[in-house]
Amino acid sequence: MTGGVVNIGYGELVGASLLMLVAGIVSWRLRLGQTRRIAVSTVRAFVQLLAMGLLLVYLFRYQTWWLVGLVLVGMCIAAAQIATGRTKNVMGGLWADTFASITVSSLAISFIVVEGVIHADPWYNAMQLVPITGMMLGNTLSASAVATDRLLASMDSRASEIYTMVALGATPREAAFPSIKAAVGAGMTPTLAQLSAAGIVQIPGMMSGQILAGADPIIAAKYQIVVLLMVSAATTLSIVVMCFLAYKKRFAAEGYFLDPALRDDIGSRGSGR
Amino acid sequence: MTVFEARHIGVQYQRNGEPFAPFSDVSLALEGGRMYNLTGPSGSGKSTLLAACALMLPRSGGSLALNGVPFDRFHPTEWRRRVCLVPQASALVPGTVRDNLRFPWTLKVNAGTEPPSDEFLEELLALAQLNGVTLDHSAAQLSGGQQARVALLRAFATRPTVMLLDEVEAALDEESAVAVSRLTRALLTGATTCLRIRHRADDGYACGTFTLADGAISYEAHPVTADNTPVAGTGAAVGILEGASR
Repeated sequence: MTGGVVNIGYGELVGASLLMLVAGIVSWRLRLGQTRRIAVSTVRAFVQLLAMGLLLVYLFRYQTWWLVGLVLVGMCIAAAQIATGRTKNVMGGLWADTFASITVSSLAISFIVVEGVIHADPWYNAMQLVPITGMMLGNTLSASAVATDRLLASMDSRASEIYTMVALGATPREAAFPSIKAAVGAGMTPTLAQLSAAGIVQIPGMMSGQILAGADPIIAAKYQIVVLLMVSAATTLSIVVMCFLAYKKRFAAEGYFLDPALRDDIGSRGSGR
Repeated sequence: MTVFEARHIGVQYQRNGEPFAPFSDVSLALEGGRMYNLTGPSGSGKSTLLAACALMLPRSGGSLALNGVPFDRFHPTEWRRRVCLVPQASALVPGTVRDNLRFPWTLKVNAGTEPPSDEFLEELLALAQLNGVTLDHSAAQLSGGQQARVALLRAFATRPTVMLLDEVEAALDEESAVAVSRLTRALLTGATTCLRIRHRADDGYACGTFTLADGAISYEAHPVTADNTPVAGTGAAVGILEGASR
C-alpha cells in the first residue's frame, strides 16, 4: 500500500497454495503417507499467519503495555509447547524448564534490542516488540529442543562414566558437565554457521522481506545484522539455561544418575515417536 | 570397632517398568581393618546391595551408618567419597592414566585435599602389577584388565573409609587378581574396611563371607590366618602412603 510494497491479492494467494501440490504429488506417488499432513500444515500456516496479521493490526491500533505483554506471554507459552513437543525425551518438569529458558532468553534479548538499539516509542511498541520476540522465540525454541535432545542422549551414552563419577563423589553437575559442554557446543554451531553464511548464499528471510516491502537495502541489511547478532545471543543463552536446568531431571534427589532402567516414566523409554 | 553398619536395608524400585525388590531387610556390620567377601547366587542382589550402601539406588527403608554417624547427616557426595563403590564396569575418563588417577581431585568433594604425587601413583601402579603402564599412557589404549586396575587404583587413591568392590577382578588373570587382593589388604588400616563381591575361589584375605540368597543375608567367619588377621593402627602400607597425604 505504501511506497514500493506490491500487495498480494487473495486470489493470487490461493493460487500460490497450488505450489503445495508439488509436495502433495511427491507424497502421493512415493506413498509417504504424508498427504494429509501436508494439507493440514498448509491450511494451518494460512490460518495462523493471517490471524497473526489481523491480531497485529488491532494490536497496533489499540496497544497498551499490558495488552502487548499478554500477547508476548501467549507467544512464549505456545513456543514452549512446540519445543517440548519436538524433544524426543518426554519427562516431567521439562515443560517448565523449556518455558523458562526460551522465555528468559527471548524476552531479555528482545528488550535489549528494542529499547537499546531500535529505541522503540512507546517502549512497548508492538510493531517492534512482537515481531522481534517472535523471531527470537522461533530460534530459541528449536535450539533448546535440539540441545535438550543432545544433552539427554549424551548423558545416556555416558551412563557408565556418570555412574562411576558419582560413585567417586561427583555432584550431579560435575558428572553431567561433559555432556552439558557437548550440548552447548553443538547447539551453537548452526547459529554461528548462519552468521558466517549470511549474505553470501542467501539473503536472510527478514532482509528479503524488508526489501520486498520496499525498504532501502542498506537499512534492511543493518536490521538483519542486528537480528542475526541477537539470534546468536538468544539461542546461546537459551541453550545454556536449558542445559543447566534439564540435566537435573536425570538425577535423583540423592544425586545418583537415573539411567534408563531406573526411570519410571514410560515416555523416556524407547525411541519416542 | 564397627566402621560401617547397614540396618534393615531394603531396595525396591521400578526396573525397566517392572517392580524390582531383591531384598527388603538386610543388615550387616563391617569392622575396621578387615576385608569381607559377599557371595550369593546371581540375581540375588549383591551388586544392588553395594549400590544401596553407596546411596546409588532408591531404597525402601533401613538406615546406614559410618562410625556410628547416620547417613542422612552426610551430604550424599560426602557419603560416597567415604563409602566408595567401585562398579563392575568402571568407566575411565578420557585422558592419560595420570588424569584418571587424579580425577577425584577435580571434584568439589576433594577440594580441601592435595592430589597425590606422581611417586605415590607410580607406587600404586607397581603394587597392582601395572609395571609396564606409565602415568602418561593414554587410558583408552590400556587392555580391559589394565583399565579395571586403573579404575580400582583411582578409588584407592582417595583412601575411602569403606571400599565396596563389585567383582573388580572379574577381568583379571589369576596373578593380577591376587596382586589386587594383596594391594587392597595393604591399603587397609584399623579405621577402614572393605566388602567385595567375588566369584573366584577364596584367596584367604577375607576374614569372613556374607551370603545373600533369597532376600536373606548370612555370615560365616573364616579361621584367622596371617593373611586375614585384622589390621590395627595405620596398617601395612603406611610407608608408601606417607607421601600421599603430604
